[in-house]
Amino acid sequence: MLCERCKIREANIQYTEVINGVKTEHNFCAQCAKEMDFGPYSAIFDGEFPLAQLLSGLLGGEWPVQKKDRLSQITCPTCGTSYEEFVKNSCFGCADCYTMFDLLIHDNIKQLQGSDSHKGKHPVCQEPLSSKAQAEAVAQEETEQTKSTEEQQIRAWDRKLKEALRTEDYENAAVYRDKIRALREGKEADA
Amino acid sequence: MLKWFEQVQDGGSNIVCSKVRLARNWSEYVFPSRLSDEDSREMLNRLHEGLRDLGDLDGRDYESAYLDELSELDRRALKERRILNASILERKAPMSILITREEDISLVLNGSDHIRIQVWAPGLCLAEALKTADQVDDYVNARFSYAFDDKYGYLTSYPTNVGTGLRATAIVHLPSLSMGKKFPSMLNDMGRIGVSIRGVYGEGRENYGALYEISNQKTMGRTEKELTDLVAKVASQLDEQEKQIREMGLASHRLEMEDEVYKSYGVLRYARRLSMKDAMTFLSQIMSGIADGLVKLQEPCPVFRLMLGIQTANLQKLSDRPLDKGELDMARAAYLRSELPDLTQS
Repeated sequence: MLCERCKIREANIQYTEVINGVKTEHNFCAQCAKEMDFGPYSAIFDGEFPLAQLLSGLLGGEWPVQKKDRLSQITCPTCGTSYEEFVKNSCFGCADCYTMFDLLIHDNIKQLQGSDSHKGKHPVCQEPLSSKAQAEAVAQEETEQTKSTEEQQIRAWDRKLKEALRTEDYENAAVYRDKIRALREGKEADA
Repeated sequence: MLKWFEQVQDGGSNIVCSKVRLARNWSEYVFPSRLSDEDSREMLNRLHEGLRDLGDLDGRDYESAYLDELSELDRRALKERRILNASILERKAPMSILITREEDISLVLNGSDHIRIQVWAPGLCLAEALKTADQVDDYVNARFSYAFDDKYGYLTSYPTNVGTGLRATAIVHLPSLSMGKKFPSMLNDMGRIGVSIRGVYGEGRENYGALYEISNQKTMGRTEKELTDLVAKVASQLDEQEKQIREMGLASHRLEMEDEVYKSYGVLRYARRLSMKDAMTFLSQIMSGIADGLVKLQEPCPVFRLMLGIQTANLQKLSDRPLDKGELDMARAAYLRSELPDLTQS
């Protein structure tokens, strides 16, 4: 079948339009399709991120116009991505976007993924502290440890020993008792 | 040191290779699309510093490079070898890669996501590739905390990757199955079971070389193992169907099939100019000829390696000057003349 627009090239794109319940079918060649306006689907013929553009049709297409305008104002405070930008590019700007747009995207993600809850691996190490802050905390702890005298160490173990006795954790209590004894004996030997 | 695609597989299977990819983001930074160049560089430096001893994990040697330090040709060659994807090639922001010498394990940093771990393996090796990717993932995660949500799982730039962040892929050679009338509708039906399938090489609707890539469509709601098992199962079924068709063909038309394979070998061995389409078509014939036991090469040589070798950027790299289309066809023929091993006498 020849393209109905140029009537020269072979038609390889079938376009079905439904306006007010009236369905019309068109057949175009790729070149003519590229020159025409298919709204969010145009990108398919441009070769530019067709999936992202298709998704944006899927992700944002179902709200009434007025509500859509208000929704597009919602912006993620962390990265500045607006809901409008998210719908346009189908791309989150940061982890917080998921929380920020949760109510708006939840159903779409479920539709896209066939599920709305993760099943599978969890991170092995998910510290609430950022790793930079974590590294600083570890470094600080190390400095303090080197600074701390053996007396402080003994007092710390003594506290743990008492806590262990209180909770009737005799195994750990014995460990701390032995540690304190060893350190005291070491001190005496040094003296 | 042999690259993963140079390692020979036992014949008989039409499953050429497998890949597992995990998409991860570091919780400290906004996602790459929103990250400034300055922050990108800072993040990359910190990632490189933290992953300096990644090789200790399994005794491998990793090389690292910032993508803007590589030539355009090198970046395109990495795309041909499936280390980088097309969208990364277009991105202008600072990005880098960590890659083993065998090129089987690679980490693309600050691409579509902060960290993309990718593991390639010859043949059907999805379970092993997942295990390797998992180990690298744990190593990275021990040093960098991930953007993770109890409900949505691993948070990624695109909602198409969220959850496991896993894309399992198998490349399958389907020269006979793909000629069937029902093949296009079968491709469409794949979506119903949660996998997508597409041609690896070709232009428009044409496929060169009959290689098809099968991947999981969805990344959430199933475990990593369930997703890799699904892709492996579909790949195995397609392999089995392809085998059955070829066996039927061999039973009734062995001579014709043998003739096709030998003619293809003859062209690849002696041609002076080869277009991409012709070279891929003839290599595809050799690939099935070897799998069917119709021909045997004197030296072990995976045909997929030759298919990667005849791609444009690789041929340009082998040449000392830029090549136009005609010269590329000549370079492609010359490459195959020198790389295609002799046949064993039958």
